[in-house]
Amino acid sequence: MIMRRSLTLLAAAAAVASTMSIPAQAEEYPSERLTYTIAFGPGGGNDRMSRTVVDILRKYDLYPGNIVVENREGGSGAVGFSYVAGKAGDPYRLTSTSGNFIGTPLVADTNWTYADFTPIGLLASDAMLLVVRSDSDFGDVDAFVDAAKAGRVTIAGSGSAGPERVTASLFAQAAGIEFEYVPIGSGGELVTALTSGSVDAVVANPSEVAGQLDAGTLKALAFSDSARSTNNPDVPTFMELGYDFSFSLPRGVVMPNDLEPAAQDWWVATLKKVIETPEWQEYLAKNGMSGNPIWGEDFATYLAATSAQYRDTLVKIGAIQQ
Amino acid sequence: MLAEIASNLSLGLSVAASPEGFLFLVIGAFLGMIVGLFPGFGPAAGIAVLIPMTFGLQPTIAIIMLAGIYYGSMYGGTITSILINTPGESATVASTIDGYPLAQKGRAGPALVMQAIASFFGGTVGVVLITALAPSLANFAASFGPSEYFLIIAVGLLMLTTMMGDNKFKGFISALIGFAVGTVGVDVMSGQQRFTFGSPELIGGVYFVAVAIGLFGIGELLHCVFKGQHRQPAKRLRISFRDKEFWPSKEDYYQSRWTFWRGSGIGFIAGVLPGSGATLGSIIGYSVEKKVAKDPEKFGKGEMRGLVAPEAANNAASAGAMVPLLSLGIPGSGATAVLLGAFLMWGLQPGPLLIVNDPEFVWGLIASMYLGNMILIAMSIFAIPLFVKFLDVPYVNVVPVIVLLCIIGAFAINASIIETWILVVSGLIGFAMKRYGYSPAATVLALVLGSMAEETFLQSYIISQGTMSLFWERPVSLVLFIVLLSIVVLPLVLTLLNRSKNAREGVSNGA
Repeated sequence: MIMRRSLTLLAAAAAVASTMSIPAQAEEYPSERLTYTIAFGPGGGNDRMSRTVVDILRKYDLYPGNIVVENREGGSGAVGFSYVAGKAGDPYRLTSTSGNFIGTPLVADTNWTYADFTPIGLLASDAMLLVVRSDSDFGDVDAFVDAAKAGRVTIAGSGSAGPERVTASLFAQAAGIEFEYVPIGSGGELVTALTSGSVDAVVANPSEVAGQLDAGTLKALAFSDSARSTNNPDVPTFMELGYDFSFSLPRGVVMPNDLEPAAQDWWVATLKKVIETPEWQEYLAKNGMSGNPIWGEDFATYLAATSAQYRDTLVKIGAIQQ
Repeated sequence: MLAEIASNLSLGLSVAASPEGFLFLVIGAFLGMIVGLFPGFGPAAGIAVLIPMTFGLQPTIAIIMLAGIYYGSMYGGTITSILINTPGESATVASTIDGYPLAQKGRAGPALVMQAIASFFGGTVGVVLITALAPSLANFAASFGPSEYFLIIAVGLLMLTTMMGDNKFKGFISALIGFAVGTVGVDVMSGQQRFTFGSPELIGGVYFVAVAIGLFGIGELLHCVFKGQHRQPAKRLRISFRDKEFWPSKEDYYQSRWTFWRGSGIGFIAGVLPGSGATLGSIIGYSVEKKVAKDPEKFGKGEMRGLVAPEAANNAASAGAMVPLLSLGIPGSGATAVLLGAFLMWGLQPGPLLIVNDPEFVWGLIASMYLGNMILIAMSIFAIPLFVKFLDVPYVNVVPVIVLLCIIGAFAINASIIETWILVVSGLIGFAMKRYGYSPAATVLALVLGSMAEETFLQSYIISQGTMSLFWERPVSLVLFIVLLSIVVLPLVLTLLNRSKNAREGVSNGA
């Protein structure tokens, strides 16, 4: 943190020096220092994706100037996204989206929504697995549905109104079953809730259960994306199995509103180069994500649709008012 | 089995004791101590900031260095607890209770030496236990669901009563303040916001580090200024290795000879359980020590055993936390979650197969922890005269420096001005608590444990359909439940028995 501050100072000093020496004129975009804000703490999923993007930009010299990375953590992304949204008109601000980019404005009183950002691109989608213990009676999703119809099943996921709960609710709706949802704080406790036999199933991010799936102690029944994951090619999607829904979260890049179209175009073109690199492919593979990129205004349409789907589910389960 | 352990360890040492491995282990341990010294700048942030520095390294070497930062910070963190009564993280709160009074009694040197020895002891016992028991312990950790977590946290909360000082009533009020502050943030069950007053920064709750720095650090400073300590000339504490005053006395070692073992054992078990392992371990370690002592009234007034127990425990716990991380891929704390992120970045997938697929990595890491603890104890003891020099500085100059450090620390965590205000307000409350004999330790620990207890209780409640039967239907829960009941009921029964015995004796004497 201290290091980051002094870097910021140095860079600020450099910026001041350069503006003093060069008279103001319309320069080529981009020509200044870029600030990449991460709305979450170090080490999390959003942080890893953002730092991967920045490392690729640096390694292949895709960005001509300095790049400063800063974590602005707090309120499930509310603080960091609010900060970037407040920089409207500044073409040197980037941030990464994840589930909370959609979810937090729906459940909390934030002063921004997805519409307060300029969409650049959806780089990957992050879908959920329905996971059970290997020694449980649930051989497949149908067995799980039958058990839910015959009795009571418990499904755990991170948070009370997060993407895990939305996935579980969409599944229950498609299968016509009822279930008891158990919200659990963090990924680690989520896995032990399942391994200890406290709950029947969990909805989890593939990276949270990868080690246990490899070892065969846990078993994935279905995947919530519209296509199978490259990491778990044996796991069918809910749609294939006849449960008609898909849900995934945007791992994308956005900028503040009110930008020149040139800035947006420049970043769409640049990020298209980023996702071509072997480093990005490796990132996708390691984190169990699928990469079906969507760019510019199509990304905006996708964000609107995902937000609506999310919102409907939260209203149905009573987490938010109409 | 012993031959197997020996061959595993020699494999590990061949990695860890290579010149490159050793160099980066020393760097990691040193950085860890520095990170621990800054209030608010914890191991999680330290590791995250330094991950990019390790990109050019071999994965095993990189992780050895990052892990060194992780357990090294446990050594450094206590130094501020002892010298300026400011714990950098929740695991070292318990160490302030006797550590700071020791420094005030002029025994800062022995206290720092003893904490280094206790840390070394706890850390080493922890690594030995990992070496011998890792596979079977992993299954134990995997059997912990919400009901087991709730019960173990409840045991920890009951243990808080031993840290509250002499006035239990004021102690309970202190803990209740902590619980109340812990309710701020999103309700994990309904997703509703509680007491956030529309501020997005409070959605995640009140971060305990700012509260802890305020209550302990700023509160203590204000209290010292209130007492007029800044007007007194500085005491000259000339301490060098040759002084007898510098080293702990024979009595110190003799009295705490069992404390080392008890603290390490308790800490390790607590550390293996994901959750707030090191914090719970240090609380339970301290309480057990006070309970078994023949002279519990000495605790809280500068008793060496009261420092050794939580220190051995939190270091053993930080070793224990590697068990679920390596064997299950389950991080037990913020710092181990960042380590997990680093593992993934290097393509190492922690889980039951890690030790099979990458034995050189796992055993290299474990072997490096033996070496790391040795490096850290040497480094701590050599650095102590430097730290103790700090006490020579006139108090009037110390105050502004510490205030500045605390404020920068609180702001730097999340670059949040609200958290900085929380620090300032906590400082005023901390002063009042100190002045009127309340217990800041109880407040901070209740803040950390209260919200965890609430979550796990509600989860158990939902799972058992609102009957709470989960707490005695599951075998591990049942054992914990009986322990919990006996902690509450046994003292009552004993008191009643004594009273009736006394009454009978009284009657017979009267007759």
